[in-house]
Amino acid sequence: MIKLENVSKTYQTDKIETLALKNINLNVKRAEFVSIMGPSGCGKSTLLNVIGLLDRPGMGVIEIDGKALNTGRDKDLAAMRNRTFGFIFQSFHLINDLRVLDNVELPLLYRSCSAKERRQLAQDALARVGLSARMDHYPNQLSGGQQQRVAIARAVVGRPLILLADEPTGNLDSQMGAEVMDILLKLNQEGTTVVMVTHDERQAKLGGRIIRVFDGQLVH
Amino acid sequence: MLKNYFLIACSVYVRRKLFTAINLMCIVLTLTVLLVLTAALQTLFYPTGVEGKSVRFLQVERITQTNKESSQSNGLGYKVIEQYLRKMKTVEAVAALSGINEVSVFQEERLVEVQMRHTDAAYWQILDFKVLAGRVYNADDFEKGRFVAVISAATAKKLFNVEPSVGKKINVMGQVFEVIGVVADEFHINAFGGLWAPITTFPNSSYRNEFTGYFSALLLAKNVGDIALIKDEIAQISKQINADEPGQWQSTHIWADGKLDFVARTLMNNQTVTDSGAGKLVAIIVAFMLLFMVVPALNLINLNSGRIQERASEIGVRKAFGASNAQLVAQFVMENILLCLVGGSVGLLLAKGVLVWLGSVGIVPHLQEDLNGQVLAYGLVITVVFGLISGVIPAWRMAQLDPVLALKGGAT
Repeated sequence: MIKLENVSKTYQTDKIETLALKNINLNVKRAEFVSIMGPSGCGKSTLLNVIGLLDRPGMGVIEIDGKALNTGRDKDLAAMRNRTFGFIFQSFHLINDLRVLDNVELPLLYRSCSAKERRQLAQDALARVGLSARMDHYPNQLSGGQQQRVAIARAVVGRPLILLADEPTGNLDSQMGAEVMDILLKLNQEGTTVVMVTHDERQAKLGGRIIRVFDGQLVH
Repeated sequence: MLKNYFLIACSVYVRRKLFTAINLMCIVLTLTVLLVLTAALQTLFYPTGVEGKSVRFLQVERITQTNKESSQSNGLGYKVIEQYLRKMKTVEAVAALSGINEVSVFQEERLVEVQMRHTDAAYWQILDFKVLAGRVYNADDFEKGRFVAVISAATAKKLFNVEPSVGKKINVMGQVFEVIGVVADEFHINAFGGLWAPITTFPNSSYRNEFTGYFSALLLAKNVGDIALIKDEIAQISKQINADEPGQWQSTHIWADGKLDFVARTLMNNQTVTDSGAGKLVAIIVAFMLLFMVVPALNLINLNSGRIQERASEIGVRKAFGASNAQLVAQFVMENILLCLVGGSVGLLLAKGVLVWLGSVGIVPHLQEDLNGQVLAYGLVITVVFGLISGVIPAWRMAQLDPVLALKGGAT
């Protein structure tokens, strides 16, 4: 499902060049649950962003679902992100000016989908995370755990092949974190590939495969 | 998608009240000035009110003669109208009208200054004056040189205050006229005036032999399709006049122009070439309007660009979930256009107020510009153009934001 070959990424700031990823080779199979672990600043999030096409690698080849991504066109990358990935962020990144339902509909705005269909899909997604009763609320009227569940509903509403979660329980207490993990595991069992960055060894073990990053390299 | 954009725009504008107020003030002031200007231009160039038939009449105002060394341009003499224009085959009617003359009317031991025109009877047929009392003079009055006069409502008030005017006698520069009608005040080029009398009441008849003078003619076409035929016939008449009255001149030019061409030819002084300069005039007006929008637009660009950081998280999220740069540019431009439309609506109300005020204080006499459908349509275009000018650059800058940096910078 995800294949990275010799992927490297450097950041250039003024005269300093920082190597964020170095010769990453990675294969993630369909419906696999992979947890990426490592110390802060080791390149975990950069790796997740490169996989999710939010960041472009300096070198190497990325293959998603059998297709090599050699296009640099913004329009193509945007369409690929929309169809293939669902993102879950540590700080939720919900749009506070929109209702929960409108937040969940957001990925569907960028594909041909009628308003009625969008609404139905968003309602279904919210039902899956147990928030049907909160669809007319605004994000700041919800608890942290509820907000992350909304973010998960948003991530899955477009039925993506891959869920990319960057420390999805990092801002939650243990009970809420457990609830979010349950949802991610259930989605994985239903066939969605999950790649999750986490600091929590216990949660990583729940997923199955763990890969470790240190100084921008995979360590085995 | 539009609903989503609309909700976001409303929330942002309500949340950032000061920013919205400054933006709106900027938009409202700009659009008010442009809408007042548009209303004035619309009245000037388009067939409305008293000049409702202007789409089908042409105006001949100057006669220009040239030779190798020099040229001279004068008002039209009555002889040209009588001898050439009245005999035209392609027109339905020809009206002769003089320029405005400031005359003194002696009334009840008072001297009142009034703007007077001399016209023929066809003038009242071509222009659609609203007759408030009595009647306007007809062909019989004109032929017989009856000393009858039509006055405007403003003149009636000046001369007779509240008393009925029709039937009253007035002394105009020693000539006594009977007021036979009162018409509504008008601000149009050909209709502006306070007192009208038949040309045949001129104190002497020397005007009949004048080749140049201070008359102009309105040529009414049977239908709009005949306008080109009239212009062709006028070109032939130019040659004929030159042949009949060669004098020291090698060529003679008279032009039959619609309203826009007439104004353009007068302003550009294109009296010897076919091109009236209308294209150039329209370009100058559009350029002026765009230039007038530049400074407030720059201010808006500056304010909008300052919102990038505030919207960073949203931009990052939208990009992550599949928004392309072009879609984000469209979103932010639409938000700006939405604000401009609100500003435009307020601007419309203000423009209406300004027009009412201008009409009431008499800075511009008989001003009757109003915000009709066409002005509203132009106002909408101006508003959208202003929204685009002031919105595209900040929108483009916002859309270029790197999604990873946007998500980091916009953490909520």
